[in-house]
Amino acid sequence: MRVQGGHTPPPLSQAAAANMAKKNKAKLLDNEDDGGQEEEEPDFSDPEDFVDDITDEELLGDLLRQKPKETDGVESVIIVDGVPSVGAERLDKLKNVVRKIFKEYGTLINEFYPTNEEGKTKGYIFLEFKDRAAAEEAVRQRNNYKLDKQHTFLCNLFTDFEKYDNIPEEFVAPVPEPYKDLGNMSYYLLDENCFDQFSIIFDGGTTTAIYLNAVPEAIEIAKRERWTETYVRWSPRGTYLATFHGKGIALWGGEEFRQVQKFSHSGVQFIDFSPCEKYIVSFSPHVDQRSEEPQSIIIWDTRSGQKKRAFNAERPPIWPVFKWSSDDRYFARIWEECVSVYETPSFGLLDKKSIKVAGIKDFSWSPTDNILAYWIAEDKDVPAKVSLLSIPSREEVRTKNLFNVADCKMHWQKCGDYLCVKVARYAKAKREKTEVKYSGIYYNFEIFHMREKGIPVDSLEIKGEHTGLCMGTGKQQVRNHQRGSLWSWLGLRSMNGALEFIDTKDFQVMMSTEHFMATDIEWDPTGRYVASCVSWWGHKVDNAYWLWSFQGKILKRQTVDKFCQLLWRPRPPSLLSTQDIKDIKKNMKKYAANFEVQDKMRYSKASREIIEKRQKQMQTFTEYRKKIIEQFERDKEQRLRLRNGQDTDTLTSNENDYEEETVEFLVKKETVLVED
Amino acid sequence: MKPIMLQGHERSITQIKFNREGDLLFSASKDPKPNVWYSINGERLGSYDGHSGTVWCIDVKWDSSLFISGSADQTMRIWDVETGTSNTTLEMKTSVRGVSFSYSGTMIAYTTDKMMGHNSELNIIDVREPNNVDSTPIMKTQVTPTYTKALSVLWGPLDEYVVTGHEDGSIIKWDMRTGKEVGQEHSKQIKDMQLSHDGMMLITASKDTTARLWDISNLEAMKMYKTDRPVNSAAISPLVDTYPHVVMGGGQEAMDVTTTSSRIGKFDARFFHLVFEEEFARVKGHFGPINSICFHPNGRGYASGGEDGYVRVHVFDDAYYQFKFDF
Repeated sequence: MRVQGGHTPPPLSQAAAANMAKKNKAKLLDNEDDGGQEEEEPDFSDPEDFVDDITDEELLGDLLRQKPKETDGVESVIIVDGVPSVGAERLDKLKNVVRKIFKEYGTLINEFYPTNEEGKTKGYIFLEFKDRAAAEEAVRQRNNYKLDKQHTFLCNLFTDFEKYDNIPEEFVAPVPEPYKDLGNMSYYLLDENCFDQFSIIFDGGTTTAIYLNAVPEAIEIAKRERWTETYVRWSPRGTYLATFHGKGIALWGGEEFRQVQKFSHSGVQFIDFSPCEKYIVSFSPHVDQRSEEPQSIIIWDTRSGQKKRAFNAERPPIWPVFKWSSDDRYFARIWEECVSVYETPSFGLLDKKSIKVAGIKDFSWSPTDNILAYWIAEDKDVPAKVSLLSIPSREEVRTKNLFNVADCKMHWQKCGDYLCVKVARYAKAKREKTEVKYSGIYYNFEIFHMREKGIPVDSLEIKGEHTGLCMGTGKQQVRNHQRGSLWSWLGLRSMNGALEFIDTKDFQVMMSTEHFMATDIEWDPTGRYVASCVSWWGHKVDNAYWLWSFQGKILKRQTVDKFCQLLWRPRPPSLLSTQDIKDIKKNMKKYAANFEVQDKMRYSKASREIIEKRQKQMQTFTEYRKKIIEQFERDKEQRLRLRNGQDTDTLTSNENDYEEETVEFLVKKETVLVED
Repeated sequence: MKPIMLQGHERSITQIKFNREGDLLFSASKDPKPNVWYSINGERLGSYDGHSGTVWCIDVKWDSSLFISGSADQTMRIWDVETGTSNTTLEMKTSVRGVSFSYSGTMIAYTTDKMMGHNSELNIIDVREPNNVDSTPIMKTQVTPTYTKALSVLWGPLDEYVVTGHEDGSIIKWDMRTGKEVGQEHSKQIKDMQLSHDGMMLITASKDTTARLWDISNLEAMKMYKTDRPVNSAAISPLVDTYPHVVMGGGQEAMDVTTTSSRIGKFDARFFHLVFEEEFARVKGHFGPINSICFHPNGRGYASGGEDGYVRVHVFDDAYYQFKFDF
């Protein structure tokens, strides 16, 4: 609060202050004695001609903001238009109907049905809710609600009227925000050598760097300290790099990795991108107790940075909570025995209702169509069920009952042509209090042929281990990664990093190798390379990443100080049609010749550089050695003196010193049986 | 190359040394009896009885007549190599961590540990009369508290100075005439120091996972060899001008051994090119970290002693001599 001008209110002089103190003291004493005798109170009023030059706004700004406004008390009121006009006899019935419709948004504390001269309701009513949030929700949900054929509710907040009233007469066009040229966000796809990028975090998490997987050595493109506070994530098409910070997420992109966007979500722990990168979902366990709004999960628009919708979540959530359809149009989660499907860009619940599915365990979207597959666990006598639901029609396109099911895992084929459900079946089930224990697990697969009429289902029984899907038997943790027709298995942690490269065309193990104590494996987006990593977060020594070719040949072992994480930058799906791909495969030989020439040139350049460096090093060293040897020669006399004239410079310098002695010692013993 | 395995110690090996001519190999371990072996076939000559604690360090005189050892039982002993009798025992206040014969063999430099109120010391004694050693040192310096404790010691090529390696990674040259010179390049404890054959270069092995090559006269660090495990010992090939190689042995600390692959013989000796600082070979075989490694004086083989208590003596085969870097 700044006081303008040179005029200040007269400060109380010291004497006056002292006087006052005395008076007060006297007053206290007096009060104690008599309890009531009034003393002259000190005069605090301003002198008569004092003009206050501090505005109220400055002094009490914050209090003024809380000044009761006209709208106070009416912020939880909504006006509903389109209400049937009824007479007194049917008024109660109408009120009940209205109450039933609106009570799900909050407690109604007041309702007013204005009537005209004839006693009939005018057609519009005022409803007051307990709080504003309820009022807002009611407006959102019930606006345009069709009560019956002739009546549609039109709901508005009472305060909206003030807003609309205050719209200025002149239209002022909003000032467009200056266009931030982010450069070519997809520049990484244009790399002429088609090298992929990958991010690594090392130095215990303090440094993040981006590398180009070039041949023969990776080239560093960017490196920053403290770029992220915990770890990083790439967006599914590779356009953005997301970094985590205490206050929220930051997105970086473009050739120079400039900050593209940031999202404020305090304490964010996990994020998820929608498949087309239109939206980003973030989760934070921190909840601001003051606000009643849900805050745990927030969905943002990636490009504009706007907060679109927020949800509550159970803590800790199984991430990702929301699963997206492949075209970003829908996202869904399991919440309280229902599947809640939301649609974008409105972010409202599809059809305003969740899909009730009692006993639902898990669901997944088809990677190409808007079909939801989910499975329900078995319940006493009711068998388990796998069901396919088409969105938005909610039509069940296929269901299949399954018996003796302990667990199900759904895997979609990349093109959405097949859905494979791996069913774990049990031979025996024991019920123990609230848990059920299964024993004698065996597996079989249900394959849904999505493209055929009626979606026929095949059942396959597989025995043995060489299947290509994830097997988690016992204590081992097996991670597999698929890239088209090639799979790699990695036995993590207790299995000491055994790696197997399998060609799924014939399930042949191409190569069995190991990367001791590997914690992660990552395929590059093109399927040419695999990186196996020993992360410092899991294991404090031997931190490194090893690059393998897709056939399992080790290409490079790169040790990095306190290496934590390696992630390949994803690529968007190929723009080539299947015909194009066929053509390229046919002409492979032509292209291959070109590539070989390029590769050879690259290697020879590298070796030329190394050779030059080595020649220089050798030269320096040989010069150094010459000097040393000269010094050595000069010192020879002294050495002879120190060892009493014996020349011990080389082992053969003192031949007289040697005594020749023939020593026999046993080399081998062999027993030969001469005669039996 | 199939190595000869010497099994003669009950506990882990602390140091091994060839004599000047290379026909004998001396080994010291955490058990109190150092051994001596014929390096050609691994036959044991005998052991030296007398210490009552871990033998940390050993050295042999240039003419292979005397053998010295420093032990955790706070003594340093001088032995007759042939007979195995201990001529002299010198009592110290703390364990003796490093011993070294001078080039002439007339003096011994030794360092002691810093323990229980006693400082780490560097002492030099005169041993011209091995049977009548004057226990009063001709030079005695308190290493701590000015510097950290000295664990290894070596003589300069003409006995003009002594170089010590310390716990904080520094090496100090103690020159009687010009005073002290300090070289600091390593960040952690120096585990071993060895001289080149001509005594003009020095290699230090450190817990900071590197080994460095120094010029001894001006304490200039010339080369660095990087690994990913603490280096316990390093040696320079005597054939430094034709086969400029350096061998290093190391491994995880005993407490961390369970987390590294303890499968058969995974601890390896690593060979680096001295000039290019690049690793070119690894020899597996030990079941535990390698604690001491040294080349045979003729440059045709090497020996390594490990935490597993074994000493392995190797002879190089043709592949070693044929290997050449492109340049």
